[in-house]
Amino acid sequence: MYLRYALRRILNALAIFVVEMFIFSVLFTATAERTLRAQIEESLQPEAARLRNATAEQVQRFVTERRAYLYHASHLDQPAFARVLWRTLDTLTFQFGNSITIKSSRGERGVWRIIAETVPPTVMLFTTSIVLQVLVGVWLGIKQAQRAGRTLDKSASIVTMVVYGLPTWWVAMLLIMLLAYALPIFPSGGMYALPPPNGLASAIDVLWHMALPVITLVLVNFWGVALLARNIVLGILQEDYISAARARGLSERAVLYGHAMRTAAPPLTTIALLSLLSSVFGNIIFEGIFSWPGMGNLYWISIEQGDTAVTLGLLAVTTGLYVAGLAFLDLIYGLLDPRIKTGTAP
Amino acid sequence: MGDAVITVRDLELQYFTRRGPVRAVDGVSFELLRGETLGLVGESGCGKTSLGTALLAVLAPPGKIVGGSIMVDGLDILKLNDDELRRQVRWEKVSMVFQGAMNSLTPVYTVGSQMNETLQRHKRTAYSSTSRREARKVIERYLEMVGLPSDVANRYPHELSGGMKQRVVIATALFLEPSVVVLDEPTTALDVIVQAQILNTIKELKRRLDLSLIFITHDLATEAEVADRVLVMYAGRIVESAPNETIFATAGAGASGAPGRGACHPYTRMLLAATPRLHERVREPAFIPGTPPDLLAPTLGCRFRPRCPVAFDRCSADPPLREVAPGHMAACWRCG
Amino acid sequence: MSNQELPNARTAARPWLRDLLGELARQPAGVAGFLMLALFLAGAVFEKRLITFGETDSRWHDITYWDEQPADAAPFWTNAFASQKSAVSLLLSPSSSAHESSGGARLLTHVFTFPYRYDLPPRDLVVRFRGAGDLPVAVTMTRPDGQEITLDQEQVSAGSGSDVRVSVDKSAGQAALGFLQGNESVDVMAGVDADRIRPTSVLFSQAGPGMLAKPRALKGDYTIRLLVVLVTPTAQISRPTLVVTGRVSGLLGTDNSKRDLWSGVIAGIKWALLIGLLTAFVSVAIGVVWGVTAAYFGGPVNWLMQRIFEIFSNQPVLPLLIVISAIFKPHIWFLIVIMAVFFWTGPVKTVYAMALSLREETYIEASRALGAGSARLIFRHMVPMLIPYAFASMALSVPGAVVYESTVSLLGLGDATIVTWGQILHDAFTGGAVLGGLWWWVVPPGLMIALMGMTFSFIGFAMDRILHPKLRRR
Repeated sequence: MYLRYALRRILNALAIFVVEMFIFSVLFTATAERTLRAQIEESLQPEAARLRNATAEQVQRFVTERRAYLYHASHLDQPAFARVLWRTLDTLTFQFGNSITIKSSRGERGVWRIIAETVPPTVMLFTTSIVLQVLVGVWLGIKQAQRAGRTLDKSASIVTMVVYGLPTWWVAMLLIMLLAYALPIFPSGGMYALPPPNGLASAIDVLWHMALPVITLVLVNFWGVALLARNIVLGILQEDYISAARARGLSERAVLYGHAMRTAAPPLTTIALLSLLSSVFGNIIFEGIFSWPGMGNLYWISIEQGDTAVTLGLLAVTTGLYVAGLAFLDLIYGLLDPRIKTGTAP
Repeated sequence: MGDAVITVRDLELQYFTRRGPVRAVDGVSFELLRGETLGLVGESGCGKTSLGTALLAVLAPPGKIVGGSIMVDGLDILKLNDDELRRQVRWEKVSMVFQGAMNSLTPVYTVGSQMNETLQRHKRTAYSSTSRREARKVIERYLEMVGLPSDVANRYPHELSGGMKQRVVIATALFLEPSVVVLDEPTTALDVIVQAQILNTIKELKRRLDLSLIFITHDLATEAEVADRVLVMYAGRIVESAPNETIFATAGAGASGAPGRGACHPYTRMLLAATPRLHERVREPAFIPGTPPDLLAPTLGCRFRPRCPVAFDRCSADPPLREVAPGHMAACWRCG
Repeated sequence: MSNQELPNARTAARPWLRDLLGELARQPAGVAGFLMLALFLAGAVFEKRLITFGETDSRWHDITYWDEQPADAAPFWTNAFASQKSAVSLLLSPSSSAHESSGGARLLTHVFTFPYRYDLPPRDLVVRFRGAGDLPVAVTMTRPDGQEITLDQEQVSAGSGSDVRVSVDKSAGQAALGFLQGNESVDVMAGVDADRIRPTSVLFSQAGPGMLAKPRALKGDYTIRLLVVLVTPTAQISRPTLVVTGRVSGLLGTDNSKRDLWSGVIAGIKWALLIGLLTAFVSVAIGVVWGVTAAYFGGPVNWLMQRIFEIFSNQPVLPLLIVISAIFKPHIWFLIVIMAVFFWTGPVKTVYAMALSLREETYIEASRALGAGSARLIFRHMVPMLIPYAFASMALSVPGAVVYESTVSLLGLGDATIVTWGQILHDAFTGGAVLGGLWWWVVPPGLMIALMGMTFSFIGFAMDRILHPKLRRR
């Protein structure tokens, strides 16, 4: 039953996420704690300064006690293994602590708030690109499968091989040089013009700023989808049930778009989305080239500033999104493939 | 038996592979009479499946018909374009039950929706305006005819057994009431019991709907059960054509025989000898030595010559298919 | 999960290595790939002969090594397309030397002849020599129009032996100013900011009013003299050289730290090859063994291996790689290990499926009946069947590894002891090359990454086509 399948998959995803966060804690606990200690020291300064009418000895005692208290509250005084577990728990409950150097647009220092702010722009950018990549890629792939071995297929395959190892961020640099510098058509970065306009003009402004990043992403990445679509559809077109459908007098259109595509849909959707999902997380960095205020850009900033709290928080969120994405794809696949829907194992 | 419902003349079918054209069907002529079951027998790769698909003009690429004619109900189907074929011939005049019916059904649609789709596609002819309910009724009627419960229509192909899928495919082949049904190895992949059931169903349907059948198989025993007349194919050609009784009455061993009293072409006789009988004592399994010839570059002279135990010097000339007794044709110098 | 046909392990293994190469030769993509690979290998092997600055690899981050180069200079061949020709970097030895003694002192004169036929003057002229002792030094210039200017006069302390550099750009400011004053009107001079004059722009322009606002090149032979007085017997100089720091320089120009980009790009080849091939090889090897072992043993072993696989494959690799690099600042070998640790998940699913079908082959059963141990069965019988697929997989993994390393370097997290293309691009991006239009800095390193990716994708896809012949055409 689909429900059982769905439930199992979700639980699986959760389990994997927990294990991964645990592994991260093990890896990064030393660094995280260093940051935490530094933050505690920093917070002790102003507190100590506020004690005006106390002797040096009293201040000293206060600082020591306070430090011990704060350490205890952050579980820094526990043995190593317990500390790792506490860190894991913190990560899982999205308690990432505070940033030292970065502030959110509202001046907050909470790492979670900072990260949360960057998620919508990333989602917006990549969702748009993915939709376009799928549309263009599947269209091209079908055309290639229909005319397999001929000119269109061969030339498209060559281009696919050429862009296979192309770093998207480098193409971004080139396009900026071409279309934002040499021919100033597009803006070279950011999400809004300064000062940002209002209303409808604001939406257009954002689209304008999003154009070049999206063009870059789509231009480099849709070829992979096309190749996948081509191979899957071509494989299916050689199956017996396709020639049987033709023998039954069905039109070529019904055979292609009805039987072939419908059978191709489950593997195609999942494999395409899977590769696109991976490419999203592989390309997230390229936001920095455009200073597009998303998660990728935050990576740049937090690394440049050496703000490990934000960096680690970002990693946790990124991983979480990825695991969720994979689970989501499996759920979609289950819906599309009747063999899973009706319960017979594929 | 009535007049000829399919007439094939000098049909040539080739597959254009990278190594050159493979002559899968090399000059085949025969007739299917109305109400007759014509059996087509031969080894794997002798061209019988290609011949079957040619009758619907659904050739797997890189196959192409390069010569000859196929008349179906008076219509030369090789002269029609794809569109006309789709509208007039496929499934309306000739339908086919493919080899390996398991794979004839698209896995992502229910059986019923696929049958319905075929029905709707041909609405024009058999059913001038078929509403969904009527279509459903037709589907159920034919499912019943092949011995399946009507709720099978709601199932996906992977939920049915091999035998059930086979019956579905047969039902689909029939419900537009075509003139001819071509069955390519319809029972080969099934176990013996189901095989017997399916054969009975086929025979029953033929009787009830007055069908003309072409039954393709490599299994002589099955052929004996269903065929009125048997065509034996070898290396892309028909080497013998005779009524059921003549072929299967072949008595005695020996590679050549008297026409009229049994099969006379050495290949047919050796095929028969290689099939063990229930009531005979079998000492050693007989087999035909050698391998079928390469259809890329067929040799001159009789194609069976390299494997024939009774070949003589006349066989260096290709024997034509000619009548060697009333209603009995053979392509062998030793036959009459 | 998909309806795609798995590469059949048995039929795929039949073209063994020689046949495989033969098949590859028939695919144009494969041939192209191997040609490019050969070129890259040649580049790596003959690196020392190809690069113009021999110590690029070890001294990429050492500013002093590059000091005599111009910064942000375009490649020299751009002169062919420019309407105004720029001076090209050169090294000159003295065309003549003279030696005079007077009293206890010796006066050495080294004369350099610099033919200047360009429209745009060099950025700098540097007189360089190795000297010892306290040396009074003077540098003068005689222009083609006959005018003689004393560029610099100073006392240099060379100790017991050190490199001495006299840079016109740094030291001839006053001389240039004086020359200007002699030619321009007082009004013009009043508006001049002494600090912003480039001596070479003045020195190589035709003299006359308006020479500051609209300079025109004075073309001809310039004579530069180095005069050194050796007072003490131990004082000496040797290897006098005139370095002309051109406006354009090198095959691929220079970056803002004056580094020759051609040398950097060539030096990067071996690292890209190393990173790509090593990561690909190790990760696919692990993946194949993993898949085969899981398929072979089945049961709880399989279950455990699947779970571990899931943990690794449910991880976005690049972000993790970046964070690890940011926090631990690893050197390149460690980076390769980390990448291999994640890349192995790639081929496992397919290998597992192929191995499952292999396991059912009768010859495996037969071997087991004969008493063959598991390790032997896995490594001698099953793994070899997967080698063609493994090769294709390795080839297709290389571009990914190269791109990942460049991405990490792009963020400035690369190994600072080596030069990689990603690092060059990091410097380009943070050095404003993109918005400054310094295309020679941005294009070549990225192009190399792209070409290396192409090389291996051509090879990999050609191999893939051999394994899936049905998908070639109908």
